[in-house]
Amino acid sequence: MKSLFLAGTAVAALTLAPAAMAADKAAVLSNYSNIAEAKYADSLATAKVLQTAVEALVASPSAENLTAARTAWLAARVPYQQSEVFRFGNVIVDEWEGKVNAWPLDEGLIDYVDASYGGATDENASAVLNVVANPSFELSGKAIDATDITPELLAETLHEAEGVESNVATGYHAIEFLLWGQDLNGTDHGAGSRSWTDYAAGDDCTGGNCDRRGAYLKAATALLISDLEWITAQWAEGGEARTTLQADEDAGITAMLTGMGSLSYGETAGERMRLGLMLNDPEEEHDCFSDNTHNSHYYDGLGVQNVYIGEYVRVNGEVISGASLSEMVMSVDPALDAEMRVKLSDTMLALGRIKTAAEAGFSYDQMLEAGNAGGETLIMGGVNGLVDQTKSIERIVAALKVDGVAVEGSDSLDNPSAVFE
Amino acid sequence: MLRSFFLALPLALSPLIAQADATGGIADGLILPLMADLAGSGAALSTAAEADCSPESSDLQAAFHDALDAWVRVSHLRFGPTETDNRAFSLAFWPDSRSKTPKALSAMIAKENPAVAEPASFDEVSIAAQGYYALEFMLFDPAYTELGNAAYRCALVQAQSAGIADKTAAIHHEWVNSFAAEMRDPATRYRNSEEVTQELFKSLLTGLQMTADMRLGRPLGTFERPRPKRAEAYRSGRSLRHVVLTLESLNDLARALAAQDPDVAGSLEAQFDKTLQRAANLHDPVFAGVADPATRFRVEALQQDVLDLHLMAEQQLGPALGVEAGFNSLDGD
Repeated sequence: MKSLFLAGTAVAALTLAPAAMAADKAAVLSNYSNIAEAKYADSLATAKVLQTAVEALVASPSAENLTAARTAWLAARVPYQQSEVFRFGNVIVDEWEGKVNAWPLDEGLIDYVDASYGGATDENASAVLNVVANPSFELSGKAIDATDITPELLAETLHEAEGVESNVATGYHAIEFLLWGQDLNGTDHGAGSRSWTDYAAGDDCTGGNCDRRGAYLKAATALLISDLEWITAQWAEGGEARTTLQADEDAGITAMLTGMGSLSYGETAGERMRLGLMLNDPEEEHDCFSDNTHNSHYYDGLGVQNVYIGEYVRVNGEVISGASLSEMVMSVDPALDAEMRVKLSDTMLALGRIKTAAEAGFSYDQMLEAGNAGGETLIMGGVNGLVDQTKSIERIVAALKVDGVAVEGSDSLDNPSAVFE
Repeated sequence: MLRSFFLALPLALSPLIAQADATGGIADGLILPLMADLAGSGAALSTAAEADCSPESSDLQAAFHDALDAWVRVSHLRFGPTETDNRAFSLAFWPDSRSKTPKALSAMIAKENPAVAEPASFDEVSIAAQGYYALEFMLFDPAYTELGNAAYRCALVQAQSAGIADKTAAIHHEWVNSFAAEMRDPATRYRNSEEVTQELFKSLLTGLQMTADMRLGRPLGTFERPRPKRAEAYRSGRSLRHVVLTLESLNDLARALAAQDPDVAGSLEAQFDKTLQRAANLHDPVFAGVADPATRFRVEALQQDVLDLHLMAEQQLGPALGVEAGFNSLDGD
């Protein structure tokens, strides 16, 4: 189902612009790439902190060490969520991201689940496979030896097993499930409450197979790190993501706007926020095990704003900033630039309200409860902000085209091969 | 989750065509009659369910088919009145990749959730239990036509039908009373006629994308693992019918949008004809053939025709209209 229409759009580009603006585009793309590299480097650094905590938990299980691992996971999400804006528009990121942030998942694939979870479904025969409990099992008619739980087993055999997208064996959400467990509180307050004893040795072990659970957690964390190392390298000088983006400046600017619009509208406002609200279903929370969804949405929104204003605050406080889309738009239509900035700020205010309420104790799953008017207002405020800002992004696409002065360049449609010469 | 649709930003090659009259004409001439039919068939469905809520009722089944036909014909027009109060979400929750609808219905029937007694409270239940697709389970899936208490099932069918009547009436009302005028004389919601044209053009692309990717792509799955049970509305035998109705409706829209460019209009018309002819020759109402290598290729060929239509609309019609594809709700995962 992926990228059906890619062929038709690969040749699309913005109109050629005068020389001065072309120079700006190179600077804007360079700053965008620097921000991408910094966000993935920060994601990697915080994932390494998570790995240290996970190893401590598995080596010496305790309530304190489980809490420390959870805290490290939450911190690791902050830079990563801000990077999601690079997904749509950059093919290399989009093809990779399913390894690290696939969602939603049928967590029964990985470990034990509550009876209320149900069994195999029409959509997924492996919904309760439970790899932690089963050193060998059958998948698509083939016998699988899972005696050793390795990064390779997770990535190559289990992830998206049988072509089912909800068979998520790797990434942040698999790790989240292993640290928190299922959230069985429905739309009441409270996250998953896995006990540290799920990792304990000998008779203290709860949930069974504690050694295999620990092995799974370590393998998934190691895999997250190698995946983040790979994507960070793609954004370094000479890396494929950066060079692809800079090879065609107009296509590069298009990629930036595509990422902003697609993440705002179809993904966050639609799939992640409005749909969950209308299903009144806490399983539709993006970070459903940890109840971190308010942050997940907030940092997605911040990532969109980062791209427009060309600025990112790193996890160590360093500020990366430089030439921005905002400056490009200001030079052709100052009113539109002001409109875009106001709408991005309004969205951050609305997403900030959700975050504030959640941190004060009104958690995101409570907001999803049927008939909870306050929760609905908060979530729809975020949805409306994201939808509204998408309209302005579309106006920018049009403005950069028509006001980019002469419509003289038409290589990309008249003669697609010329674009690649 | 890797699926994504990159925004197409074709260049404007030709001078912008004066489109204002044409788009006003599309709202009045094309969309308003479809919306009137949507509301009329929604009201008739509720009336039929009140008269006889039994799944075997031929009147009720006929009313269901009429009502869902009317919805499918407008299912690509996802802007304005269908989005107010999230109406379209609760009318048509599909695809249901996590099987939320059967779960929500089972839970309601098991608990005999009293929300069915009042429209206002039924409006608050999960959208997975509301709308055409949930009603289809209650009328056509043997696991649900006999589940739990008969009186409760009846109340649920009537509540679902009444909800469809209310929401379709509201959509029609908003189109008649304000939205058509906003498209005719753009001022605030749309700044100019180009933005109106873009909205309609996006709807055309969205409808084609939805048809290729969801209505055909979901049952097709992969060659190794076809997914006939993911076909839309297969319980009521309507999967292929949805493809045909959508394409017919999109053909009308494309013809109206391309009215000022005979070359583009001609090539689109020919491709729509070819695609509809292939659909008519398929004789596979629920795409059961996707699981048989000998017949699967015919569904794949139909999907390819729709993809070609999408490409043609994007690369020829978009530049002719001077508008961008923009963003749609299918962007993302």
